[in-house]
Amino acid sequence: MKIVGPDELVFGVDSVEACAAFITDFGLKHVGEKDGSGLYEALDGTGLSIYPKDDPSLPPPLPTSNMLRKTIYGVEDQQTLDQIKDELSKDRQVQVRPDGTVEAVDDLGFALGFRITRRRKLTLLPERINSPGAAPQRGFNEIGANEDAAALPRTLSHVVYFVPDAAKMEAFYIQRLGFAVMDRFTGGGPFLRPASNTDHHTLFLIQTPEYMKGIEHFAFHMQGPTELMLAGSRMVKKGYQSFWGPGRHKFGSNWFWYFNSPMGTHAEFDADMDVFNDKWEPRVLPMRTEHSQIFLLEHREKWAPGG
Amino acid sequence: MSADKTKPLTKVLCCLSDLEDGEARGFDPFKIGRDTVFVVRRSDKVYAYRDVCPHYGSTPLPWKKNAYLTRDAQHIFCSAHGATFDIETGTCTLGPCLGQSLTSVQIAISQAGEIRLFLEPEEGPIRTPVATG
Ligand code: FES
Repeated sequence: MKIVGPDELVFGVDSVEACAAFITDFGLKHVGEKDGSGLYEALDGTGLSIYPKDDPSLPPPLPTSNMLRKTIYGVEDQQTLDQIKDELSKDRQVQVRPDGTVEAVDDLGFALGFRITRRRKLTLLPERINSPGAAPQRGFNEIGANEDAAALPRTLSHVVYFVPDAAKMEAFYIQRLGFAVMDRFTGGGPFLRPASNTDHHTLFLIQTPEYMKGIEHFAFHMQGPTELMLAGSRMVKKGYQSFWGPGRHKFGSNWFWYFNSPMGTHAEFDADMDVFNDKWEPRVLPMRTEHSQIFLLEHREKWAPGG
Repeated sequence: MSADKTKPLTKVLCCLSDLEDGEARGFDPFKIGRDTVFVVRRSDKVYAYRDVCPHYGSTPLPWKKNAYLTRDAQHIFCSAHGATFDIETGTCTLGPCLGQSLTSVQIAISQAGEIRLFLEPEEGPIRTPVATG
């Protein structure tokens, strides 16, 4: 099934104003509705949408502290949407909204939407470095440390769920929606990617007790490590709370920097994730701290309130 | 010169009058570069905890400097995964650390209205729960 990846994460939150401030400083652009509600976009049109938690248009909440109310996947074409509708209709209720979005819940009750992807094709420069023994990637007199770089999230990378039955969820995403496992933490869960995405993961599952069920974090891809560090440093300067990072993960190789957020989940800047095709043999490691990162450069600057 | 053993070491965090009713504030009394304890004022009582969520056991709660409470200021909120805690007891009532508690730190309010944190010089704040206010 030609699923491209998560297009939009829909939250029902305690404080729309707090989320609006956070997400804007995180680098997403408010494009929808008003008073802080509505959609916030990365450069390619993927993003987050924010509503008050009692908004009647939202799917019902999970009975936990989770504020994620729906994960909307982008797919390549109408044929894929029809396929998903037929497949999921076999054993659950599927709704088609007036805008063509196909909606259902997965095997553990996380609400899903599917629509033809709204991702805009990006044509942007990568991070360019000068490395001894190789041709320089930046031209003569071209500066690498550009303090004024916009450093904006480019695209929604992945979402991670706490799930009470990781095996059941893995089976659902693989058998019903055509995801594949890239790597796995025993005692944790699988890193999954859909058929039309080459990233190491767009979905990672972590086995937990029932009362934890919900989103663990989400991530947006940045240009590269330098813009990730720049964006994260700006968040710290504005008084936002670093949760973990900056550092570099082992599985996926992505650089990471996580920040607590008023959406009740931490928000990750990531950069330089590995890409894969069907030839990859998944690695399996126990879920331990030494396997979660190859290094950590913990931030230790003073708080600077504001922002 | 050795410190007077009979007199506990304390450090002033702020004054009661600096805090509004229903306000929370974080402090960095050990100067490590980020807040490690926070207080919440409720009428004339003040509750103080380590800024560490029992869920992962080593990570801070707020999403921004001093943002320790839900919007209605009725609960302490960990913004990493949305856990909510009772302000008086520090017990998690909803979320990934359900039933676990924040670690209280010992404070006292002086005659002059200063909120003082009791210190164990080597280890940081005293962790025994003590009713304050
Ligand atoms: S770390 Fe606080 S809820 Fe998970």
